[in-house]
Amino acid sequence: MLRHMLVARGVDEEAVRLQNQGRVDLWLSCRGQEVAQVASAMAIGSAATIFPSYREHAVAVVRGIDGVALVAQWAGRTFCGWNPRRHRFFPYTLVVAAQTLHAVGYAIGRRLQDRTETVVVYLGDGATSEGDVSEAMNLAAVESAPVLFVVQNNGWAISKPSHEQMRTSIAERARGFGITSWSVQADDPDATFAQCLTARWHVERTGTPALVELHTTRVAGHSSSDPHTVYRDPGELAAALADDPVRRYSDRLRSAGVVDDSWLSEVSADVTTHTRAMVEAFGR
Amino acid sequence: MTSARPHCLAESLNGALGDLMADDASVVLIGQDIGRLGGVFRVTRGLQDRFGVNRVRDAMLAESSIVGQAIGMSIAGLKPICEIQFDGFVYLAMNQIATQAARMITRWNGDLALHLVVRVPVGGGIRAVEHHSESNEALFAHIAGLHVAYPSAPEDAAAMLAYACRLGEPVIFFEPKRLYWHRRRQTRAAGEPVSALGARTVRHGSDITVAGYGAVLEDVLAAAEDLADAVDVEVIDLRWIAPMDVDAVVASVTRTGRLLVVHEAVGFFGAGAELAAAVSERAWHELSAPVRRLAPQRSVYPPADSEDDHLIGRPEIVAAIEEMCR
Repeated sequence: MLRHMLVARGVDEEAVRLQNQGRVDLWLSCRGQEVAQVASAMAIGSAATIFPSYREHAVAVVRGIDGVALVAQWAGRTFCGWNPRRHRFFPYTLVVAAQTLHAVGYAIGRRLQDRTETVVVYLGDGATSEGDVSEAMNLAAVESAPVLFVVQNNGWAISKPSHEQMRTSIAERARGFGITSWSVQADDPDATFAQCLTARWHVERTGTPALVELHTTRVAGHSSSDPHTVYRDPGELAAALADDPVRRYSDRLRSAGVVDDSWLSEVSADVTTHTRAMVEAFGR
Repeated sequence: MTSARPHCLAESLNGALGDLMADDASVVLIGQDIGRLGGVFRVTRGLQDRFGVNRVRDAMLAESSIVGQAIGMSIAGLKPICEIQFDGFVYLAMNQIATQAARMITRWNGDLALHLVVRVPVGGGIRAVEHHSESNEALFAHIAGLHVAYPSAPEDAAAMLAYACRLGEPVIFFEPKRLYWHRRRQTRAAGEPVSALGARTVRHGSDITVAGYGAVLEDVLAAAEDLADAVDVEVIDLRWIAPMDVDAVVASVTRTGRLLVVHEAVGFFGAGAELAAAVSERAWHELSAPVRRLAPQRSVYPPADSEDDHLIGRPEIVAAIEEMCR
């Protein structure tokens, strides 16, 4: 998990640099959400089909999508820089929530063809205000569709804080539709992984939907065009920046002797391969 | 199912749906009340008994959900055919149609066959309540990535539905409600359209071309018959609004020199405006009179008592043809 988080962080930082240089038009940073994304992606395994929203760069990294492929659509080259079927990671959906209905329909469709597979759909707290999410949750529950909803609640729908978007947790709302759900503080990769694994097993054992709400932190703005310091509390932002779960996990694994400096420098070389290719592809 | 030659649109569509499902196990139907009830217009009558609840799926009252799940099913390898209960309710699915279905193949860099048909009962003249008599085909024709079908005859409807189902691109399939159970049809010229997406000449003539589509075409044919002694009217059924077979209309106008476009949707920004502009650009030197459109004023579709005043009828068509050929 640490390797994927570090690669995702490296790709994200290079994309931010390229955007600052005007080589990339827009970038939606996943910084701060790597734990939620990598832990959930590892827990659901490589067989499940993923319907992402648009910020799941670390999930994409887990699925073997490189930095060039990830950034291509944000540099105006394409609407999807990777092969959706090969990676079982479908194109980003920018009209938030629309993909939730596709995911449920896909799961029903596979089952109708006697080729049942686990389907995972990623969405954010903001998207849950859209009607399609309610329609998708209800449809999944009524049809007993094997869909795992992974909601990253980063506390913000651009500038609208979560507490102004809803009166209950998203996990509680899912239970109202008859969907088994969990609400998880997603800053520890191991615990998050374990919770997501439980959710996956629920879907696979029962053939019914589940929802896991991952509380996470968006450290950057919504996008590279979002001056989020205008609306965020400086103290909260400083604390989020200081308390980096990726660094914490790295330090913990190093002091436990799970990883060492040579492993870390090997990962660092891997990151450099990604970022060099990105500079090559977009920087000139 | 082999049946006698269909006499009305609903029977033809019912037969076509049954044939498609029998031929291809990946065809599934999704819509409100299409199973147990057979649809509010009975277009899907008997299909759930024949093919089961898995393939004829009674949907919840949620249009976005109907089209959204169908997109997912299509990506999963099925060929869903959705039914929206009435034209005025398709707006609830508009986001899924416009931002998702229409763009999905492009988003996948062309590496996707998106089999998806959205059937929409359309049009008025049936004394229906608010939202049940709309003609909104131009909205869909304007969206790149969508095919828009609008048959006016049972035989065409069956063939066009089969084509749409196998196309691998999303199709909005409009079905004129007024024709569902309409059996006393005007006589039409024999002959096949040049292509699956082409227009069809349903009456041959030499003085004027009248182009239209949908239920109003029956009125156009009746008007042409009324004038048969004085004016030789050629009538073209466009059949598809997008893509639009402008070539067929230009070819006709080259012989007749006059073009009248008739449709039930309001004229302002309607499909007729596109056809009139395209023909004016391409066949200006062939025209002996200005191209004219005959369509309702831009007003909200009225309560049933006033719908005859809103709609274009046979007398207006007769008058327009007479004026143009004077």
